[in-house]
Order: sequence, then structure tokens, then C-alpha cells
Amino acid sequence: MGISVTDLSKHYGPVAAIGGVSFEIADGEFVSLLGPSGCGKTTTLRCIAGLEHATGGRISIGGRLVSAPAEGLLVPAHERQIGMVFQSYAVWPHMSVRQNVAFPLSVRGVSAADCASQVAEALRVVGLEHLADRHPSQLSGGQQQRVALARAIIGSPAVLLFDEPLSNLDAKLREGMRGEIHRLQRRLGIAAVYVTHDREEALSMSDRVIVMEQGRIVQVGTPRDLYRRPRSRFVADFVGKVGLIALHRQGDGWASTDGTAILVAPGEPCGPTALGAVRPENIRLLRGGEVAAAPEVNLLSGIVTEAQYLGPFTEYVVDAAGASLRAFAQMDLPVGAPVTLGIAAEHLVLVPDA
Amino acid sequence: MTGIAKRAGTRGGAASERILHGLYLLTFAAVLALVMLPISALIYGSFRTSAPGEPVGEWTLRNYENLASQGVLNSMWTTLWIGLVSAAFCIILGTALALVVHRTDFRWPRLMTTLIGLAFYFPSFIVAMAWIIMGSPGGVVNAVLGDLLGLEWPRVDIYSAFGIVFVSVLHQVPFVYLTVRGPIIHMDASYEEAARAAGATPMTVMRRVTLPLLGYSLASSFILVFVLSIEQFAVPALIGIPGRVTMLATQLYLLVRFSPVDYGLAAAIGLALSAITGAAIWAQRRITRAGRLTTVTGKAGRVAPIPLGRWRWAANLFCFGFISLALLLPMVILIYTSLLRWFTANPFAGMYTWRNYVFMWESDSTWQSLWNTLIVSGVGAVMGVTLGLMCSYFTLRLRPKGHGWLDLLVVLPFGVPGIVLGLGLLWAYAFLPLPLYGTIAVIIVAFVTRFLPYATETVGGQMVQIDRSLEEAAWVGGANRLRAAQRIILPLIAPSVQGAYFLLFMAFFREISAAILLYSANTKVISISIWAFFEQANWGQASALSVATTFVIFAILLVIGWLVSAGRRF
Repeated sequence: MGISVTDLSKHYGPVAAIGGVSFEIADGEFVSLLGPSGCGKTTTLRCIAGLEHATGGRISIGGRLVSAPAEGLLVPAHERQIGMVFQSYAVWPHMSVRQNVAFPLSVRGVSAADCASQVAEALRVVGLEHLADRHPSQLSGGQQQRVALARAIIGSPAVLLFDEPLSNLDAKLREGMRGEIHRLQRRLGIAAVYVTHDREEALSMSDRVIVMEQGRIVQVGTPRDLYRRPRSRFVADFVGKVGLIALHRQGDGWASTDGTAILVAPGEPCGPTALGAVRPENIRLLRGGEVAAAPEVNLLSGIVTEAQYLGPFTEYVVDAAGASLRAFAQMDLPVGAPVTLGIAAEHLVLVPDA
Repeated sequence: MTGIAKRAGTRGGAASERILHGLYLLTFAAVLALVMLPISALIYGSFRTSAPGEPVGEWTLRNYENLASQGVLNSMWTTLWIGLVSAAFCIILGTALALVVHRTDFRWPRLMTTLIGLAFYFPSFIVAMAWIIMGSPGGVVNAVLGDLLGLEWPRVDIYSAFGIVFVSVLHQVPFVYLTVRGPIIHMDASYEEAARAAGATPMTVMRRVTLPLLGYSLASSFILVFVLSIEQFAVPALIGIPGRVTMLATQLYLLVRFSPVDYGLAAAIGLALSAITGAAIWAQRRITRAGRLTTVTGKAGRVAPIPLGRWRWAANLFCFGFISLALLLPMVILIYTSLLRWFTANPFAGMYTWRNYVFMWESDSTWQSLWNTLIVSGVGAVMGVTLGLMCSYFTLRLRPKGHGWLDLLVVLPFGVPGIVLGLGLLWAYAFLPLPLYGTIAVIIVAFVTRFLPYATETVGGQMVQIDRSLEEAAWVGGANRLRAAQRIILPLIAPSVQGAYFLLFMAFFREISAAILLYSANTKVISISIWAFFEQANWGQASALSVATTFVIFAILLVIGWLVSAGRRF
């Protein structure tokens, strides 16, 4: 059940937009496709929806094969039983809110009485009962997006697809809608695919995140997994701020370019050189002389080169161990101040430096 | 995008795909026949020695050799310079009008726009007739100059190249006004405000910022007016034939209608004229496409109007002077002429009568031509808009295999002058075993072909603005393509379909050039009837019918304006 994608590819002439992507999404699971623009995430979603036709591989929705170009099978979008929310909302301006939401039922020939009760329920779920007879031009962006949401969930779709649905909303509205979309999907208990380039969205909403780059999957994992154990420099960089220390093997361990021995988290074997990735919030910033020695902690001395006061904390850039590292701290330090950085070994993750 | 055939559908989807595919083939075939029949017949004819339908005759290149004859070269030269001079005057006057009306504190911008709109719909052959009555050697102007003011000199003669330019300009300035008005109104105010802030006076802003920003619109408008001037038939025929000023369109007409008849040369001239207009239209489309990148989108703000100050009288004189020459004076003269028993330039010596109107009312042939006009306009516009709608949907939305060809076919009539199209159909239907020649259907075919691009541009212009996701959301929601087109696309473009219908209706109502070679006694339309009266020197009848037609046109405009404002919902 859910969604199963096997070796999906999409070529435009000689150009591959997607080059062999496979994943499974269980019923009730919320999975994000995360990546920079042009990475193939939207194309993947549109292939699942049937709005674009894959050139290779297979797609099943709810156990039913819907796309297998090798066998000449391409079920058109209108027969795939999906709910989809578009980036531009795509709320039809010539229909009232009620008519918009009722559309998927009315084209499928659901009786008027059934239709009315289901529309009322869907509108109640998204909190728009009182606006049912308005036209979209009379609604705010957030309200239009709720109409799109109600239209997507009506008629019990097999899966829910989201194509960057929040990118047109302002920041505050966005956070509220995140929670709402998540709750809704939990309630319906169906598979959801959510395309976004916003890492906060992906991390906060998903059960699993699929990171894509140049038409391929580069890492799949839970949000915590991705954030804490990135397997490549690209993923480390894309899911959050990160400091990278160039390392090389020294005996059994590792050392930075200036020769300091560095303790790292146990992980997959790397080549003779690697990068040590550390999140800014995992760096303890200590004033110049302070030394709080502890086992399994790297102590690196460095100089503050930049400071940005952000309210809750200050974001410092510190040159240490031959790298520029970002660190958050509440204390006030001038640029040029000598500091010591404390980085626990478990927070320093090796990624290949290629 | 893949073709329709490749989409494997099931159940209801398959039927919808089949219907759409059928519609596509039908549309393609109809457009192909409409556009290519007259053009290929014309090409065929240009290589023949005989008239259409004659069994004798042989292949020849003589017609193309004759294109280089002195007579044809003269007309070509006349056509080009009249086109360029008219276009230049039109651009200057039309832009100046638009700037005065929309960029200064001119007091009656809405009244002016309405009046210029009326002038736009005032048929060119009626303006030409009115100015012939005024400007011919025995006409009103010379009577005023000579008899009333007692002057020996000057005398005017409308039957000249100058007369053609004069009337063309009066007729086409409204077109320029209406095309540059939009860009002027919607120009982003911040460009001009930035120039003001940098210390430029209002006039300097106009010269150094506003006009250069309008460059693309002006160039595009200039080319279109040039095309309108060289492809027009009525004005150069009414004024030029008596004055022996021959443009290509009139030469073609003379070669077909008067001896020595030479259909082959006429066809070659038609193709040469089409080549010029076609190349100009191509250039215009290139310019518009380039211009889209640079101009003037964004939020329209209110720019502070330029104060007219002590030049207000000049602005008023300019605006209302133009309206007088293009609209009011011709109307007054036509009403005056229609009420005279015999024409005289002196209103105090005239014998006034209603007999022209009584005759018109009692004449079966007038009623017949009115009826024909209503059928041609009403039914023809439905056909034209339906076809235009189909073409836009297939070329912009569904894009099945071969849609690029359809797109190309549909714009071709832009480059074919009406009278050339008429000649092509004359050739085509002489050979086809269809009983169309001499029927009203052939006139409808001619009009629909000629104005098909106007329908696709109007409908397509709105269709491209509909975001793709609106249709995709319907597919995802369970609607097949046909259903989505019907429930989403069609309602959203309804205003432009309505607009295209009115546009075509009004164009068909006034069209003369495409019909002039195709009409028969039973298939006369109003414009042809007026033309015929005037050719018989029956100025009274021609004027009465012109006055009646003009009032019908203005009445229809009134109804359209009312319908459109009532129908505007979102």
C-alpha cells in the first residue's frame, strides 16, 4: 500500500531530470522530498500525480500500478485517486469556495446530498465553514491555501501530494499551516509526499526526508538522522548550518591541517582525508583562558572574526583548526577576541571531502 | 509534452481523449482548408495565362515578369510611400492624442476615449465618401472657398495621393490611439518619478523616459498601421481610381474587374502584396516579443498629470479638431447629403427630402443586404470564434503533435490583404466542385479566414494567462481533459470569447475588401450596397444607407458596452 516508486526516470530528450529514483512510502507516513531547485523533486512528484509522464521505472499507488512506461501503462491523472496541493494554490477563481471543494466529488458523479455533507465536513476540518460562499478573490492567501487543502482531502484520496504549498505564504502563516497540514495527514492516515526546498519545513513535518540532488537520491532518513548524521557534505550543508574542518588520518585517529589531533564520532570508514562536520549549537564557546577539560572533547583555540547579534544569542564565526566555524553563544565577545572551542567527539561527524 | 495518442487512458478518459483528438483533426482540417485553399489557388493562378475556371490556358512565368513592368512598379512605389507617410502621421497624431488625453490634466479623457472609439468603428469607406463629398473639385470645401469666400485660390482636390493619405490617417489614428493607450496608462510610474526626482522637468521626462520606454509599442503600432494602409482597399479605390493614383490593392481590383482583364497578373500582384504585408507582420511580432522583456509591467501607479497651463486651448483644439474631421464633419455631411434631392454644396439652395430614406425603407434589395449582413456577421462570428477558441486551446494548452503547424497556419491570414484573399477564393471556388460561388457562404468563408487570427489572438491572449496548475488541479481532482477544459478553461476565458465575438461581429459588419470580388446580386452585404450606390454616383442613397449603417453600428456598440459592463464579474 502507500506509494511505491521503483527506478523512476524522466528524460527530456537527452537530458535526465530524474535518473533512477526508488522509494517506498507506507500508509500514514509523511515523507518530504528535499533539495535545491532543479534537483528533480517536483518532477518526481508530478510523475506520481500523472501530470508528467515518466520515461522509465514503475509507480504504484495504493497497490495499483499507475505508471510503467516500459509496458505502455500510464494511468492519466484523473484516474489516480490523489489529492494534491499546488504551490500557486490553483483555486479556481470562477467558483465559490464550496464549488471548488465539491469539484472532485461532482466530476465523479457523487450525489448532491453526499457531496454537500462531505464538503461541509472538509470545510470544517480546515476551518472555513463560514466562508463557503465566498469567491477566492475575497480570500487571503492563507485562506485560499486552506481551500486547496480541503479540495485535496475530499473524496478520500489514496495519497496526498504537496508541491511546495507554503512557499507563497508569509513566514508566520507558514508555521501555523505546517502544524495544520501535519495534523490533517495524521488524521487521514494516508501516505503523503511533500516537496520543499525549505529544510525547516522538511525537518519539522516529516517522518522521513528524502534528499535529492541532480535527479538522484543522496540520502534518506528521519529528520534527526539527517541532521545529526549527514553522509555527505551536500546533505550536511543543505539541512542546516554546519562548520567543516578538513581532516587527515594521523595514526589511528585524525588531525586537522594545523596538526591538532581531533576526536571524531564513530562512523563509516573514510579515505585518507575527510571533513569533520559540526553544527554551531554543538560548539561550546569559552573565553580565551578558560579550559574545562573533559574526556572525549576537542578543545581548539581560535580567534573571533565575525559576530552577529541575533537576540536570543550571538552567532560568532571563529577561525580555528584551519577552518571557519560558526558557533552560537550568549556571551558578548568583541571581534578579534581569543577563544577556545569545545566540541564533543560525538558531535563531530566525518563526511567524505569529495 | 507528449501527443494525445500516447496517453493510455481507461474508461471515461479514453472517450474524452478520442473526442479531443477528433476535434483536433477537425480544427486542423478546417484551418488548413480555409487558409491554404485561397493561398495555393492564388499561387496556381499566378502561373496561369487564363482566368479562373476557364478550361484553356497554360503554364507561364509571364505574370511574374509583368510584376517588373513600369505600371506595377509605379503602383508598388505608390503603395509603399503612401503606407509609410500615412503610418508616420498616424503614429505622431495617435501618440500625441493618447499622451494629451492620459498624461495631462486634459478635462475630458473619458469622453475623448469614447469618441475616438466611435471613430475607430466608423467604416473607412464611409469616411472616404464623406470626404469625397467635401473635398472633390465640385465639393463643399471648394464651394466654401470659391462661392462663399470668393477666393480664386486655393482649391482642394481629394482625388489625389494626398487625399488617400488624409483619409487613411483620419481613419487609422484611432487604431494607434487605442493600441498605445494601454502601455501609456499601465506604464510603471516609478520610472518617471525617478526621473522627476533626478531633477527633470515634466517635458524632459516625456522626451527622455516616457517616449523611449514606449519605443517597442510605438514601433509595433507603426508597422501595423503601415500594413493597414497598404492592404486597405476602399479608400484607395474610392479616391485613387478617379484620381488615377493606383496602389497595389486597387490595381489588383482593376485587373479583375475592368478590361483588359488579367487574372494571372492580379494573382501575382496579390502574392507580392502579401509578401510585403507578411514580412511586416513577421517583423511586428518579433518586435512585440522583444518588447515584452523590457517594458512596463508592474503595478500601475498614478503619475502626476502634466499641467497644460496656457496651452490648454491648443490641446482642446487638437483633440476636438481631430474628432471633428474624423467623425463629426463626415457625419454631418452624410446626413446633409442624404436629405437632398440633388446634391448641392450650398445648403441654402438645397431641396430637402426624405425620399432617400423612404426609398431605402421600401427597397427589397436594401433589406436583403441588411439581412445578409446580419447573417454573415452573426453566424460568421460564431464560426470564427469557435474555430479561434479551438485553435487557441490546442496550440496553447493541449499541444498535440503538429500544433506548431496549426499555430503557423492560423496567423497566415494576418499577412493576406482582404482583396487578395477574395481573389484567392475566386480562383479556388472556380475549380472546386463545391456549389459555393455566388453564395453567402463564400463571403462567410472569406471573412472567417481573414479575421481568424483576431479571434485566436483575443482568446489566446487570455488563455496563456491561465496558470497551468488550475487545469492540473482539475485533472488531479478527477476530471478528464475534456471535462477540465469545459469546467475550468471555458468559464475562465468566457470574457475573451465574448470580446472576440463582438470584435469579429463588428469587423464583419464593416468589411468590404474581402467581399468586393465575391459578391453577387443576391449576396450583397450593406457595405457593398453603399459602395454600389456610390459607384453609380447616387450620393443621396449612399449617404442615407451610410447614416443608417453608422447608427446601427453605434447602437450595437452601445449594447455591447452595456453587456460587457454587466457581465464583468471577477
